[in-house]
Amino acid sequence: MSEILRSIFSVGTFNQMLRSATPVALAAIGGSMTEHAGIMNIGMDGMILMGAFFGVLGSYLFSSAAAGLALAVLMGILVGLFFALLVVKLRSDEFIIGCALNTFALGLTTYLSRSIFGAAGTKGNPFLPTVSLPLLEKIPFVGQILNGHSLFVYLTWLLVLLMWLFVYKTPYGFWLRAAGEKPQTLRTAGVSPEKMKWLASILCGIFCALAGAHLSLGQLNGTFAENMSNSRGFIAFACVIFAAANPAKAYLAALMFGFFDAIGLRLQDYISSDLSGMIPYLITVIMMVYVVVRGQRRKQRARQNTAPADAPPAAAGR
Amino acid sequence: MQSRKQERLGYLLSLILSVILAFAIGAVILAVSGHNPAQAYLAMLSGAFSSLRHVGDFLEYAMVLCVCGLACVLAARVGIFNVGGEGQLLLGAIAACQVGVWLDGQSAWLVLPLAVLAAVTVGGLYALIPGVLKVKLKVDEVITTIMLNTIAAYLCQFLAKGPWKNANKNIVAGTEQLNARYWFGGLVSGSNLTTAILAAAAIAFLVWYVMQKTSKGFEMRLTGQNPRFARFLGLKTDRMVLLCMVLSGAMSGLVGMFRVYGAEHLFKSSISNDYYFEGLMVAMIARYDPLTTILLSVFFAILKIGAQGMELSAGVPNQIYLIIQTVIIFFMAAERGIFAAIRERAARKKAQWAAQARQEGGAAHV
Repeated sequence: MSEILRSIFSVGTFNQMLRSATPVALAAIGGSMTEHAGIMNIGMDGMILMGAFFGVLGSYLFSSAAAGLALAVLMGILVGLFFALLVVKLRSDEFIIGCALNTFALGLTTYLSRSIFGAAGTKGNPFLPTVSLPLLEKIPFVGQILNGHSLFVYLTWLLVLLMWLFVYKTPYGFWLRAAGEKPQTLRTAGVSPEKMKWLASILCGIFCALAGAHLSLGQLNGTFAENMSNSRGFIAFACVIFAAANPAKAYLAALMFGFFDAIGLRLQDYISSDLSGMIPYLITVIMMVYVVVRGQRRKQRARQNTAPADAPPAAAGR
Repeated sequence: MQSRKQERLGYLLSLILSVILAFAIGAVILAVSGHNPAQAYLAMLSGAFSSLRHVGDFLEYAMVLCVCGLACVLAARVGIFNVGGEGQLLLGAIAACQVGVWLDGQSAWLVLPLAVLAAVTVGGLYALIPGVLKVKLKVDEVITTIMLNTIAAYLCQFLAKGPWKNANKNIVAGTEQLNARYWFGGLVSGSNLTTAILAAAAIAFLVWYVMQKTSKGFEMRLTGQNPRFARFLGLKTDRMVLLCMVLSGAMSGLVGMFRVYGAEHLFKSSISNDYYFEGLMVAMIARYDPLTTILLSVFFAILKIGAQGMELSAGVPNQIYLIIQTVIIFFMAAERGIFAAIRERAARKKAQWAAQARQEGGAAHV
């Protein structure tokens, strides 16, 4: 038993936690934007997949990881625009569009991957660099965990901070939140809620593309695999709900997911990998239930606290 | 009556337009990726109709799409989206298969009903989890069902690799093969089509009948469209939602049983390749109408089997089928918005002209 625990709380676990958390966290930042703008975006999985494929395609075509990243982001913007066109402008059902977007992305990326790279897939493209800081390396436990990751593991920290500032400290963030919560009020104030929804949708496209590009160009060293997003978009969605669309909290939620994913990988030595592979998905379900129940309790308590003021006299007499 | 007829006509028109546009976009993608679109589409057509075997295959796939699509329609009618049919299908399939393996040697009259029972129970119970979470705790069912899909897929992999593994070492992940006496009889030799399609047709008819022709169906519609009013009328909406979710899961599980006892004869992961999701998309395109779902599942089955034939004969990846299908969904979902935008623009132009005419008219008077 202690051996299992030691293996769980080892450097490798926390290292893996950061690796697994980063793509989910990036997508969750994007999902926070649409969530704030009042759009239920379950199409993130498809957006990630598109980013992953076009990242590799760009890297393959131009023999440069930076070009791959640029192509992924460009496609992310296009997908975001497309999503906004359907959901905001044409007022289609978000659920249907999200579902269809996921399948569309699966079909398109698999089709293009097989057409361009053949059934074997692609390998050996230029990929994003890993970062290792000699200063960090010297710190014993923490240094080993934090050092030597792909570029985006570190960029994500910066992006979380940036987007947190954007949402809570800039007028745009304020309008974005208002677009979801009080669209009519925002319109009265002279800002178009539709425009903010377009903005949110594009931002979500960009962040999901980054998540995908990180997955293929960073984590897998320039390899694209069919359906490689592997439900990460949905896990990111759960993180967004868990974090009430706060990018910083969403990052923590993603870390938690990463931790359980890492534990699953660690436990492979003891139980079947098929059983341990379930863990992050089970945790996501439990997470969703916890968030909703907590939210209801809070609401109930708030109601109870305000109740005595207008409670009937009979209750007061007792 | 007139308006309903008009609505249907409008739906048909937009469907046909969407299909044509989707094929056009598919042609562009084919051309860009270096295939000849006309050749590819011809190969698709011959892939579905060139031999009786292929016709049998697409009928079998239409059965899968139809029952999956109706399972989705049934749940959607009461306002709950069962996205978890894939997991329910897989679990139903493996449970039904294992019943057949355990009871090997018994009479088919015992084994088949028990297999159906196992598939229905397991599928239904697995749908009950997100159903209860939705009804009792108000947890959004879309994410929970999607997560449960992955969990079910892992569980089936574990069972097919571990405790219930086939003794044959060449089969990495699969259960034992069923005794041939339990198989559904083949209808077209060499194809996947079996007598299971008769059972599926009966189910489809039953679902259509209950939903469209009985008062229960009306109560379901009421529950989905206006739950508050339904409760006001004294309907037990929570129970109705749970019941429909369980039935939806049971139908999905049954599809798994049909696949195992009809086409595959053992459980392996290829028993379903996101088939439920494709059924769900058919239901979406059909706007959750049972009869339209049944008809459209035949169309999309032809497309899918045709696309697989096309891959073999023309070397075009069959995923072009998914692209065409989803583009149809995009058009169908956007259709109302597009028409509203056109109407709005026309109305604005008209108003502008009217204003202009009035101005000019006023000027002439002066």
